[in-house]
Amino acid sequence: MIYQRDTMAYDKPLPVIDNESRPFWDGCREGKLMLQHCAECGAWVFYPRVLCTACHSERLEWEEASGEGVIHSFTICHRPAGPAFAGETPYVVALIDLKEGPRMMSNIVGADPESVRIGQSVRVTFEKATEEVTLPKFKVIS
Amino acid sequence: MPEERTYLIERNGLTLKNELDASSPKFLRDRYAIAGVGETTYSRGSGRSTRALGTWAVRNAMRDAGMEPGDIDGMLSYSGNDSTFAPFIAGDLGIRLNFYMDVHGGGSSTEALVGIAMGVIEAGLCKTVAIFRAMNGYSEVRIGGTGARSAPPVTGDQLHSRAYGWQAAGQMFSQTFMRHMYDYGTTPEQVAMVKVAHSHHASNNPKALYPKRVTVEDVLNSRFIVKPLHLMDCCIESDNATAIVVTRAERARDCPRPLVLIRSVAGRVCKPRSDMHYQHGPISTVAGHYAKDILWPNAGLGPGEVDITGSYDAFTFTTLLQLEDYGFCKKGDGGGYVSDGTIQLGGKRPNNTSGGHLCEGYTHGMSMVIENVRQLRGEADDSCPAGQDGKRQHTFDYSEGGCRQVKDAEITANLGWAIPGTGSAMVLRKG
Ligand SMILES: [Zn+2]
Repeated sequence: MIYQRDTMAYDKPLPVIDNESRPFWDGCREGKLMLQHCAECGAWVFYPRVLCTACHSERLEWEEASGEGVIHSFTICHRPAGPAFAGETPYVVALIDLKEGPRMMSNIVGADPESVRIGQSVRVTFEKATEEVTLPKFKVIS
Repeated sequence: MPEERTYLIERNGLTLKNELDASSPKFLRDRYAIAGVGETTYSRGSGRSTRALGTWAVRNAMRDAGMEPGDIDGMLSYSGNDSTFAPFIAGDLGIRLNFYMDVHGGGSSTEALVGIAMGVIEAGLCKTVAIFRAMNGYSEVRIGGTGARSAPPVTGDQLHSRAYGWQAAGQMFSQTFMRHMYDYGTTPEQVAMVKVAHSHHASNNPKALYPKRVTVEDVLNSRFIVKPLHLMDCCIESDNATAIVVTRAERARDCPRPLVLIRSVAGRVCKPRSDMHYQHGPISTVAGHYAKDILWPNAGLGPGEVDITGSYDAFTFTTLLQLEDYGFCKKGDGGGYVSDGTIQLGGKRPNNTSGGHLCEGYTHGMSMVIENVRQLRGEADDSCPAGQDGKRQHTFDYSEGGCRQVKDAEITANLGWAIPGTGSAMVLRKG
């Protein structure tokens, strides 16, 4: 399910989607967390790139990830990253160890920031920012 | 992955770990010197351009080195779209350059550029290099990164971070700090002692912007910026320029000030996955873990022989993490090391005796090198009275408003920080 933000106009920084990352953002729009998976050595790769970081193979295939992970670390931002985030404070920026292996940055949403802990299990959820961009965020499930 | 080669080889009488050893030839040890240092006033609102500030700082460093425009023929600077390039500063000072380069970067640049200066002099490109950093870090481009720096569109390495509100330095580093507390039980009280120590040092530094001594309670009672960082865990923002002059040791012997030799340099050493350092765990280990294997062997000494450290204090935590990973204490014991009195003036190994970036002023690292040079000369610019020979008569009384010269300082180490994944370092010694 994709959560539609009720803001009038989205004014936070947005990714400029390039050819390497397009399938990732296309997946997010469809509510799928897509990761690159190396057909030669089996490594999972994030963020999107042209060669496998482990074996330099070009055969990186897009696969849907489980969307599950564990919080490796986080910070609670009491001061915003520019005026566009002013209405969000305090917000949590976390590093999530995805079940498949890669570590990904995102926000933890739907929880009191002070209740967030390292080691908590999380699952991806999607927030539509604009017609083109939907951001993967995470909810605590344990 | 290629198998790592671990056989030993002999070169210049020294044993290297393997053929891929990145350390510089050991014969440059003590062959180069920092002959001059200088800076402008540290201020909040300089009312001057970075060109004016840079010109003043380089002039001051040249005077300190006893050099004329014709003596300087190389120039290096670092900045992040917020400064003036070397040819303008050189032009304003009547210097004709045989070499210059302006590189992108902030913290960790000073030591790396000293290494480049040594390299280009060694290669015969020029004879003496002035290195400067000129910035209006308060009145123009604020280093916190949430002002002018938040405007550019999100591309490249920021594709998967900026959209989540990850932008300012404190936000970028705090996950590392949080994980260190989790992995090793480091407490906010321990880390606050870095600010306490540096504020004591600043109280004996007439140049310091924040000379007031603070307590652990002051730090913990200041508001949260990005957890676990309180306001007082964060460095200050200021307008200033700083400069140093690097030349061959034999040339520096002719300069008026006591000789300070460059023992060893490590420049912008990176953790694996330098594109996104936090992708490589454990994130509570920083670049110093790798840089130490270049720094200490090149210097021919270890952390135990260092009298003063200049561990970069963009935040209280950055000082701690680096001291730990460069081996000044056991990994994980940084909280104890920074809070047991060791890093304070009068302690075993004071850190940032000027007050550093937390209290003196923010210079992206160069002021910490300037401070260590003055310490090794025995010329810390505190309030101690001058004797009949014009030299300051240090009292070694470190009470408020007093001395900040470390007694018999012979060896210093600067530990520069860019991000958790990138750092530089330099060992200096009294000539
Ligand atoms: Zn592969």
